[in-house]
Amino acid sequence: MSRTVSWILRFLHGLAANTLSSAGVVITTSSFLAFVFLEILRLAGLITNAYLGLVTYLALPALFILGLLLIPLGWWLLGRRTPAAGKIEERFGRDATEPGRLGSKLFLTIAAFTLLNLLFLGAGSVRMLGFMDEPVFCGTACHSVMNPEWTAYQSSPHARVRCVDCHVGQGPEAALDAKLNGIWQMISVTFDLYERPIPTPVHNLRPARETCEQCHWPEAFYGDRIKRIVHYSMDRDSTPRYTTLSLKVGPGKFGPGKTNDGRDSKQGHIHWHVASGNLVRYEPGDPSRLSVRWVEVRRADGTFERYTNRRLSSVHGHGLEVRVMDCVDCHNRATHIYEGPEDAVDRLIREGAINRKVLPFAKRQALAALTGEYAPGDAATGIDLDFRAYYRGNQPGTAAASDTVIDKAVSALQSVYTRNVHENMNVTWNAYPNHLGHRNGPGCFRCHSEYLVNKQGRAMPHDCTLCHSMLAYDSNDPFEFLSPPDPESPDCKMHLYLNQEFTGHARGSSRDPCPMSRKASNTGGK
Amino acid sequence: MRILVTFSLLILMPLASPSADDGVPAGAAGNCMTCHKEKTPGLYRQWYLSEHAKHNVTCLDCHQAAAGDRDGFVHEGVRIATLVTPKDCGRCHKTEQQEVEASYHATAGRILESADAYLAFAAGGQPAAIAGCESCHGSKIRIDPSSPNKLNRDTWPNSGIGRLNPDGSNGSCTACHTRHQFSKAQARRPESCGKCHLGPDHPQEEIYRESKHGNVFYTHVNEMNLGADRWVVGWDYSAAPTCATCHMSAAPNQKKTHDVGKRISWTLRPPVSKMKPHWRQRRENMKQVCTACHGRRFVDGHYRQFDGVVQLYNEKFAKPGGRLMALIKKKGLLKRAARFSNNIEWIYWEIWHHEGRRARHGASMMGPDYTWWHGIYDVAKHFYFDLLPAAGELGDPEVDKFVDELLKDPMHKWLSRSTSDIKKDIRSGKMQELYKDMFKPAGE
Repeated sequence: MSRTVSWILRFLHGLAANTLSSAGVVITTSSFLAFVFLEILRLAGLITNAYLGLVTYLALPALFILGLLLIPLGWWLLGRRTPAAGKIEERFGRDATEPGRLGSKLFLTIAAFTLLNLLFLGAGSVRMLGFMDEPVFCGTACHSVMNPEWTAYQSSPHARVRCVDCHVGQGPEAALDAKLNGIWQMISVTFDLYERPIPTPVHNLRPARETCEQCHWPEAFYGDRIKRIVHYSMDRDSTPRYTTLSLKVGPGKFGPGKTNDGRDSKQGHIHWHVASGNLVRYEPGDPSRLSVRWVEVRRADGTFERYTNRRLSSVHGHGLEVRVMDCVDCHNRATHIYEGPEDAVDRLIREGAINRKVLPFAKRQALAALTGEYAPGDAATGIDLDFRAYYRGNQPGTAAASDTVIDKAVSALQSVYTRNVHENMNVTWNAYPNHLGHRNGPGCFRCHSEYLVNKQGRAMPHDCTLCHSMLAYDSNDPFEFLSPPDPESPDCKMHLYLNQEFTGHARGSSRDPCPMSRKASNTGGK
Repeated sequence: MRILVTFSLLILMPLASPSADDGVPAGAAGNCMTCHKEKTPGLYRQWYLSEHAKHNVTCLDCHQAAAGDRDGFVHEGVRIATLVTPKDCGRCHKTEQQEVEASYHATAGRILESADAYLAFAAGGQPAAIAGCESCHGSKIRIDPSSPNKLNRDTWPNSGIGRLNPDGSNGSCTACHTRHQFSKAQARRPESCGKCHLGPDHPQEEIYRESKHGNVFYTHVNEMNLGADRWVVGWDYSAAPTCATCHMSAAPNQKKTHDVGKRISWTLRPPVSKMKPHWRQRRENMKQVCTACHGRRFVDGHYRQFDGVVQLYNEKFAKPGGRLMALIKKKGLLKRAARFSNNIEWIYWEIWHHEGRRARHGASMMGPDYTWWHGIYDVAKHFYFDLLPAAGELGDPEVDKFVDELLKDPMHKWLSRSTSDIKKDIRSGKMQELYKDMFKPAGE
């Protein structure tokens, strides 16, 4: 045993014939030992920081290979000066080259080490590829570039779904594609060739129906969804105002006849666009697909319709790839969700991080602090100063009484800012349009607009209740329109319409709930 | 014609489903409101604050179109029209519609045959005619099937007061009753008329502002009760009259009218002013309004002074100037053939179309500066020192003779007399004698 150890030591020592090969031996051996050491720690559960994978699976194997290349290089240089054969005997001892049954001792040792290296590199590569499939690799390897998306991803509904599950996909082809793409990314990072902010990758995403539908398949879409949105007013009390929508996100699997809002049921609801049998194709009007030149629909029953955008003249910009509509045409920021400043402040108030009961004009001041213009790196201090100064200067009583309330609000605002604004990448508030809805970007209105008309010149439907019923609209009462309308209100007819649109039936009474001229005030002059 | 959707405002009884028989989904107006509250919040809010909103008069009551309407188009399942014409408004506001249709305002769109339009199209160019002339006078709305709302964009937007609408009606109520609040207060204010009645050729708004009436209005605007349903001068307000007060609104002895000519006795627009048909009745109508605040002698006195200026202008400058131009044209003395292609035509044009009108309008509404410095002063200066010399340059014996004869007229003879003689005649009253007949209207 001790003879073997002393031979290996002699072998390693022998390999280090000059500076280069010495360095090779040191690098290879130490990176191997470090790898083994870190892996043992990881297996023992002593290391949990995924970030260390960058060292273990990328840096150490790379060093290992570098060292291995240095050793023969050193010997090759040595061999150019003196005959290598003499050197070998001098370095490893006379007995090393004595032929044995299977070969000389030296040959066997080199063969054994080579096998060991291959095993190590093989295992290392598997570990490395596995590590490169981890979100932490995607999110942190190009730290500053990917940081905005990485930050958004970590607090998203898909935080437990790996980047590669959507961005790379299954199989060796996808992996190869991704690695080749990765080489280009390395080059563009090295030579600073990338755009800021990084454009949404609409062109090289995997087909969404293969990825998204692993979990969200059309048969599993659920029905309409009620969403209550609270906006706080800019007044002293930051009074809540409710907009309640019943989002018609169902697939439209209703039977023949009319849906409950009177539409032809073959039109269905929003996920009808991807329900089986329906095919929607369009030609984008621009490379980022923010506009649509034409869109056509082939329905399950064989009917066909084409709508052309009369605003985009047929002369410019033709030749963009015709695309079959899929998930990402609407869910373009699935996972990579940035919050707008107003939504964020509304959320902080709703969750209690900003206390509107204690802080007068909480909404107004929080929004002002959050959307101030700050020099890079100054935002945290700036938000603190801006918000605190208002309550010191204008509401001194509040500031003294509620320091902790202000502290809490400030730190909440700071973290919202950090999550959503990344100056170095030019990711500022609402840098990316979100096609869900129409609050931040053209959304549904890219196609559902008065400008997209069919052969008969009819515009594609684009009214509000096409996509959502409304149970309240900027109201004190979150379910305002579920109660009967007030005949005295100018909104009476709208109220009545929205009530009936949602409930699906007109009230039985023969009395008009919104009679014209209910007030006899206009008797005119003379 | 648009379908009769609902009932007159005057019918106060609530009735069930007013649009049940015209194939419009029940509650369609509610659908309009849902989107437009979001997409055009300003428009929605204007409507929300309007009397219409208080009476549940909603989108389709005005904008619904019938199948045959040439400007109708299907929008979200309902056939509508962008353009709302006096005919549409008249479904509820019948009297007002009829009065407007009968008024001079409703003829304003026929400007295309007038000298003003010729000048704008020839010397200016079509874009100026569209955004200038037609914005006040009204365009002839053309149908363009490829336009989203079927309206040709050279002719719409337009809310000119004499707009020629595809349904055959003339005018646009929104010229004065601005969409979508249709505020009475706004229509009653002088600025409403001042959208068009201003500038070098008819500065009514400026004259009003110069006059005591305007002066007091702007001081006491808060006492004007401008938004009141009933607005009878003397009963509901007394601080000052606005344009609307004198020309349209009710007085204790005068019904309100949307025919703006009902109280106007002179034509102050053409080169030579004439008394309008039935001018005595018209003048009496106006005097009825005046006497809500003024004594009879005061009112008669005003008309005497006003008539004096108009006839001074007519007799001393307008008629001889017109005769001179007619002679020049008859003899074919102008270098270029086209109208307005010679300097002398522009001189004459500005004398009557700008300066002469300023003088007459100034006198009609008690604007001293417009009567004299912007008015008769400019007329005299350009008559004597631009028009007559330009005629002389033509070198025609007959024209020269006409001018020589004209200058022998006692009103013009001062040009060849000494200052001291003239001053003597002014002091003695002899000079004034020349004008003594001008204070009586021509028909008396």
